[in-house]
Amino acid sequence: MYIGIDVGGTRTDAVLLENGLVRAFAEVPSSSDILSSLLEALDKIMKGVPAELIERSVFSTTLITNYIAEKKYDPVGLVLIPGPGLCSTQFSYNSDTFTLSGAIDYRGREIMPLRMEEIENAIIELNARGYKKVAVVGKFSVRNNKHEMEVAEQIKKLFPNWHVEMGHQVAGSLNYPRRVVTTMLTCATRDKYYLFLKSVKEAMTSRGIGGSLFILKADGGTMPLKKATNVPIETIFSGPAASTLGVQALIPPGETAVVVDIGGTTTDLALILGGQPLISTRGVPVYDQLTQVRAMAVKSVPVGGDSVVERVGKEIVVYSERLGVPYSLGGPMPTPTDALRVLGLNMVGDKEKAVEAMDILGQPIGLCASEVANRIVNLVIDVIVHEIEEMFLQWEHEPAYRVWEVLQKRRERPSTVVGVGGGAAGFIVQIAARINCHPVIPPYAPLANAIGAALALPTLQVSLRADTEQGVYTVEEEGFQGKIEKDPFTEEDALVLANDWLKKRAELYGLDNALEKTEVTRRDVFTMVRNWITTGRIYDICVQTPRGIMGQIGARGEF
Amino acid sequence: MSLDKTGLIFFPAFDWAISPTHPEREERLLYTRDQIFEEGVMDMPQIQEYAPRLATLHDVARAHFCVPRVQSQVTEAHLIAAGSTLQLGDSIISGEIKNGFAVVRPPGHHAMRVVHGNRGFCSINNEAILVEYLRRRHGIKRVAIIDSDAHHGDGTQDIFYHDPDVLFISFHQDGRTIFPGTGFTNELGGPGAYGRTLNIPLPPGSTDDMFMYVVDNLVLPVVKDFKPDIIINSAGQDNHYTDPLGSMRFTARAYADFTRKLKPHLAVLEGGYAIETALPYINLAIILALADIDYSCVMEPDYWPGRFKDSQDMRNTVHRMVEQLLETWEKKDKTDLQKIFGTGEYYQRKKSIYYDTDYIEEEQIEKVKVCPDCPGYILIESRGERGYREPVNIFAISIPIQACLACQSKAYEIYEESKKNQKCDYVYMQDRSTDTCMSFDKKNGQEWTTEG
Repeated sequence: MYIGIDVGGTRTDAVLLENGLVRAFAEVPSSSDILSSLLEALDKIMKGVPAELIERSVFSTTLITNYIAEKKYDPVGLVLIPGPGLCSTQFSYNSDTFTLSGAIDYRGREIMPLRMEEIENAIIELNARGYKKVAVVGKFSVRNNKHEMEVAEQIKKLFPNWHVEMGHQVAGSLNYPRRVVTTMLTCATRDKYYLFLKSVKEAMTSRGIGGSLFILKADGGTMPLKKATNVPIETIFSGPAASTLGVQALIPPGETAVVVDIGGTTTDLALILGGQPLISTRGVPVYDQLTQVRAMAVKSVPVGGDSVVERVGKEIVVYSERLGVPYSLGGPMPTPTDALRVLGLNMVGDKEKAVEAMDILGQPIGLCASEVANRIVNLVIDVIVHEIEEMFLQWEHEPAYRVWEVLQKRRERPSTVVGVGGGAAGFIVQIAARINCHPVIPPYAPLANAIGAALALPTLQVSLRADTEQGVYTVEEEGFQGKIEKDPFTEEDALVLANDWLKKRAELYGLDNALEKTEVTRRDVFTMVRNWITTGRIYDICVQTPRGIMGQIGARGEF
Repeated sequence: MSLDKTGLIFFPAFDWAISPTHPEREERLLYTRDQIFEEGVMDMPQIQEYAPRLATLHDVARAHFCVPRVQSQVTEAHLIAAGSTLQLGDSIISGEIKNGFAVVRPPGHHAMRVVHGNRGFCSINNEAILVEYLRRRHGIKRVAIIDSDAHHGDGTQDIFYHDPDVLFISFHQDGRTIFPGTGFTNELGGPGAYGRTLNIPLPPGSTDDMFMYVVDNLVLPVVKDFKPDIIINSAGQDNHYTDPLGSMRFTARAYADFTRKLKPHLAVLEGGYAIETALPYINLAIILALADIDYSCVMEPDYWPGRFKDSQDMRNTVHRMVEQLLETWEKKDKTDLQKIFGTGEYYQRKKSIYYDTDYIEEEQIEKVKVCPDCPGYILIESRGERGYREPVNIFAISIPIQACLACQSKAYEIYEESKKNQKCDYVYMQDRSTDTCMSFDKKNGQEWTTEG
């Protein structure tokens, strides 16, 4: 049996799955003490179930996301080594920044050394301003981490208790500004994250539940709890990933669908293309700051069931703010939820109050309550449908850097609109009608997040870049940098090395069985010619375990 | 999306090469990719990245006579490079972006109107395909193309030599010292477009100062005077001081200054083979200049201000040349053209063209009808010889988009007649006035037609 638990800001959801079916579920309010809400949820779903039967449990959380939103974390000092290129004044990060001279180029060669006195001055100043957390990030540090290591070492020497985070270990792809943000957020949230992991461990131990424990990542993969402490940032937005995986489990495999999660203030949209959730490749934005965290592409539209509706002149306008519960529940302003109530599309609150809300808007311009309600519902649907179309266009317009990528570009449109979340019932049928799809509100839709967590599979990836001219290679995901031992080092050797690293990572994470099937997702070879002579090759290779879920809900005995 | 954005298509074609060790190989834009990705350029609010798209075969046929057919000369990579410029062209016209940069390969500015094969690493001319597309699709009238590659943009010059609505200016390393060996000050355009082609052959070793002198004193005033609807920059980067094929001494900063001054609507990457020491910096600098972002920190690691100086001799030569060309430009409409081009019904040029990549020798006679009402149709007899194969003879007719009725009907008469003419293997008609392209294979008696 599998357990899936999603710890949200307001609610903790839990499910217990047995033979492809939901055996028990629980929804409990999240309290500030994570442990107590975890225990409450566990006790509900485990009623009458012996703890030994649990094979594995997966946890997802939006806590880290919320901490960042509310800026509830310790300040982080930034020590940056930008080198030449784009002026560092182009970027401002919400933190004290110390810029050092020094530069590495795209091949990882040092083109300008660090200056010791600058490093020391920065550390003295950081100390004077009371910082104990520092993020050290250099441009092209993923190609050569020498400068970041030197600075970090110096800090350790002077202040061994400071918490130092280095860019190359946190964010391995090329994108310096995103690396800075990702490193800073990692540094900022690690303590809080550690607390969450500790609560999970305590909850499970105190109920004697064994089996393996996993944490859900934002890209829909899992990692073992005991290895998860290093990368708190990976769990950012694992909440939406959980919901999308859940929907994937609740609809037939291979389908193309839009997941519409209509909440109180926002509507989250996600795409499942041919059965696979769409991943945002460059990384996910976290409250206007772009990070390098691979995550499911989720688009948040600022409209929901509790959005404020007002009349402006002869127009009815739906705003993005929320000022409280709907009017029908005693709230201050008319909302889309009230409109649905008037039209009989939901049963929330008092119908009289809802009609009153519509009349406040409609009477001065001579519209009856149901006319106003219709207008509001249509406005909301307009916004959501527009954003769905935009999302597909954006996916079609993803850049392509290889001929084959351009040739395989395709146009795909959904066949299904899947509604989850509180406001789904009232809107989903009309949204689907507008874009020619079948509307689906799957059973257990409110629990899609917990189901998704329960069914998530571990994913592992290795991006290897080997430069035979310089005799070095890097592994992006590990922040590793090493020497190539073999000469000549062929494309096949590079592939073998990448697979070895995948194996090594799998062992490290205790996931040996995940390696039955691996796939090569990138295999670029660049012949280097200098002065008319071939001087080396650059191999850029990515291998990974396939993505997916354990199976569909209702496919009895399948998983 | 809004008017203050710069559109970018980055298409490094990581899976395409002329051959694995050819300068036009997968590695060419690898370090440029590294630099612009690491800088986070694609995330900047001023930048809008677009996906590349494929140009159609008809888009190519509108600009070229490919022998025997378009599909035998182009690979998908060529269609993507050309299609990317079309995509940016569309987005500029629609107002989604204010300007754009197609950082694409393979390049195209050596591809002439007739294409027997690949020359100067180019098969089809991305800028020419774009110009014909913009005129046809969006009704654009006047276009200026400024070629800043170290090699003379002889392909672009060839295609627009008789076109009064296209201004073509190329400054480059003196043709006596570098491929393709043309681009001298006396190449000024045909009788119908005299002065609309200007060439500034710069002495090898010319520096940023010379570059800026030519830009400030010739390029900018002429472009301003021409009043183009759209400005295109063939942004070759082999004038850089580290380029292995060229011998010039320009820097990345100068390319950015040039871009800032010229304000092209669209820049299209051409040559540039210092793939580590120049391209990452120049491409970044051009992107920032187009997007109005401070580029003062972009600098090659081994450069310091004042590193290169021009000799007084070189300076004098260039100053004289600029003065003379400016005078030609100013007097272009008062010049006695009959004195230069003669008085016949047709003006005729004979050309020998060498295809360095594919080892083809082409002999070509190009005749342009001298017409008082339009630029006149063009008749081309061409023979391509490839050592071990039978030579290929073609006859081609091109009707300009501005053609008068008389020229249109006369050109079709000639096309029908030449289909019976025994001397050639293929006959082509490129009618830009109705956007129809036809080719006739004599051996099989088969005719293909495409329409836009």
